[in-house]
Amino acid sequence: MRHFTKTHLLAGSMLASASLLALASTAGAQEATFVVSAQNVGTPSYNPISGTQLNDAITLIFDRMVIQDADQSFHGQLATEWESAPDGMSWTFKLRPGVTFHDGEPFNADTIVWWIPQFADTENAFMTDAIESVEVIDDLTVKFVMKNPDPNLLSNMSSGFMSIPSPKAFDELGDDFGVTAAVGSGPYKLESFTVGQETVLVANEDYAWASDLSENQGAPHIKTLTFREISEDSTAFLELSTGGVDMLYSVPTDFLPRLEAEDSVQVGTMPGTGLFYIPINTTVEPFNDIKVREAAAFAINQQEILDNLYGGVGSVANTFLIDSLLSANVDSALKISYDPDRSNAVLDEAGWAMGSDGVREKDGTRLQVALWTQNGTEFKRVTEVVQAQLKAIGIGADITVFDSATINDQYRKGTDHQLAVRSYSWANADIIDWFFSGQRLGYPNVSMWNDATAEEMNAAAMKGSRTWEERVANFTTYHEYVLSQFVFAPIYQPVQIYAYSKDAISVPETVRGTRLQSQTVVDITVN
Amino acid sequence: MAAFDPIKTAIRSPRGGVSAAVLLLVMACALFAPLIAPYAYDIQNLPGSNADPSVAHWMGTDEFGRDLMSRIIYGARTSLTVAVTAISISVVAGLTLGAMAAYFGGWFDRAVTAVVDLTWSFPEILIALILIAIIGPGVGSVMVAISIAYLAQFTRLTRAQIMALKNETYVEATTNLGAGHFHIIFRHLLPNALTPVIVAGMLATGDAIILEATLGFFGLGAQPPTPSWGAMMSSGTAQIFIAPWIIIFPGLAIAITVISINLFGDALIESLDIHNHLRSV
Repeated sequence: MRHFTKTHLLAGSMLASASLLALASTAGAQEATFVVSAQNVGTPSYNPISGTQLNDAITLIFDRMVIQDADQSFHGQLATEWESAPDGMSWTFKLRPGVTFHDGEPFNADTIVWWIPQFADTENAFMTDAIESVEVIDDLTVKFVMKNPDPNLLSNMSSGFMSIPSPKAFDELGDDFGVTAAVGSGPYKLESFTVGQETVLVANEDYAWASDLSENQGAPHIKTLTFREISEDSTAFLELSTGGVDMLYSVPTDFLPRLEAEDSVQVGTMPGTGLFYIPINTTVEPFNDIKVREAAAFAINQQEILDNLYGGVGSVANTFLIDSLLSANVDSALKISYDPDRSNAVLDEAGWAMGSDGVREKDGTRLQVALWTQNGTEFKRVTEVVQAQLKAIGIGADITVFDSATINDQYRKGTDHQLAVRSYSWANADIIDWFFSGQRLGYPNVSMWNDATAEEMNAAAMKGSRTWEERVANFTTYHEYVLSQFVFAPIYQPVQIYAYSKDAISVPETVRGTRLQSQTVVDITVN
Repeated sequence: MAAFDPIKTAIRSPRGGVSAAVLLLVMACALFAPLIAPYAYDIQNLPGSNADPSVAHWMGTDEFGRDLMSRIIYGARTSLTVAVTAISISVVAGLTLGAMAAYFGGWFDRAVTAVVDLTWSFPEILIALILIAIIGPGVGSVMVAISIAYLAQFTRLTRAQIMALKNETYVEATTNLGAGHFHIIFRHLLPNALTPVIVAGMLATGDAIILEATLGFFGLGAQPPTPSWGAMMSSGTAQIFIAPWIIIFPGLAIAITVISINLFGDALIESLDIHNHLRSV
């Protein structure tokens, strides 16, 4: 038998505490844990090309050609300069020299030649639809030859979906790309990814190509960055206030008073890019009748929801686009704003008479509909209020709550859904095309809307616009028509609210870009 | 009436009396909710959300400004309906299956025992979750799930009782007099095996209320705006720091009801002194 002497024990404990100290100091200096927005919980992959849902970590693993700032201006990241031909039929991009992917592959003109055709036959194909071909001018210059002018090209290229993966890794991994591994040129390398749980990133020490939106032009300060997925907002809040995590990417408005009361928590806001709305399935009874759709749309009391669920933070939504977009400036007569008298009048007109239990009836059929929503406190609360507001005009609604990761599959599976409470986050008018194009019935066109006039307007807006002004005008027309057909009901426009622990990290005062992305994260330091 | 004597005895004991009174109150809430509740359970008043308990709202209001006490009173209806219906179905099915398995024996007994032992080896919550994953959420689904989850318990209990009874002399005598199988099972065996199963059923009702609340907490039970104690607690978790009463009162309702059921069940077992009273019930 072996015996430990006191000296052994003393030496052992000293060694242990020394190594613990060492661990603690490195951990304190370099690690941080962030929590992704609740609406991004369950994002299935980091494949930017084929993914239809991406979480906030995508811009850390991959770089984009350009980044859009909050003032809508574009800043080069992997592209340094760009120019469009006067007729809009070609674009020339100068590429940043010295960029390598995480697997050591170089980034150059060949990457772009390989990259653009990858979008064909994916759900994101519309992003590159207008590009006929890519020509190599020299190793670091490419020319896009266009099928038709696309004034929206830069905006597309600034989105996370146009993040550029390493061609070699992408081809080798096939369907596993973004799931088992994701290789880009961004400030962080993907260490591990568990769907619905967490993503661990480690700093890319070679990184030296941040955009001019970042102060730090080198490798990121945080060396190990973990993104956790927490669907319950109150759990995320508890984690932040107890030091389990360092930053929440998105905080529901009703948490503001509690966060502001916490001494160690700093709250920041950014202009919103999101909108809550109710898509209405136009192909099923009773919503194949435009009058019933109109009634449902005008039953939603946007102001009541803003004031009471969101404490007045954010703004009401009366169209399908966020207010900062020019195409949101529609004819005010077409805006959808709470008007219960109008709802009741059109339902009476359509033959739905009020029943004794407060639900309308017509020919023995009750006006009882299905209202889908997804997990998460905010969605469930908005949905319960919507249910009560619909009931007030005589539409009974049965709520079904789906897991946020599977709800889109439910839309793809069946076509009998009726109403749902959904939200999107997108700062471009082409979101109308994404959600209402007749080419995408089921999902994302949850409204199942396929209308000849709308398709013509869609084509004009998406492909027939030569200049930015023309595009804005075409999208405004298309948007106005969508509004006039009541294929959805607008609810609310949130602002982006993030919160972090002041003791743990320092975040730049002004967050650059349209959301909290790589350009800001590389500047965050651990205290 | 001899059949009610043990219940009377149970009620006369202090814990039996108190628990019976509480249970009667809960049942009255469930039966006469529209008369007792001061407000409608589904009328929202958003500006008055998360209000503290007050004279107007004894238990405060929830996040939609609905009166919490009214919702708890209506919630008793959901909890009791689901638990009592589910357990009744389970008891009747368990009695029938268990009695037939024990009486007929052979392959039928082996098959029933195998299935029952298999479900018995999983916790009830797991069986209920699996079943709801298959049939989808809702009050009906929860009833089906709970009744199947508890079926094994009652089948086993009945089978054990009948096994002991079927070799009694009076059964043999009835058989020799030429009575049919079903006459023997339903007229002679089951009545004598009933008491422990009914008491077990009563105790299981308490568990079923908890199971219903758990499923409701996960959003699998009654769908909004129908109140269920479990779902109310679930929505209260988000408000725990601003309006703790939203989670506390439904929690108390569940605890008080279940404790009362268990206390009354204990009192009943004691007064029945099941071995002596078995024949007289």
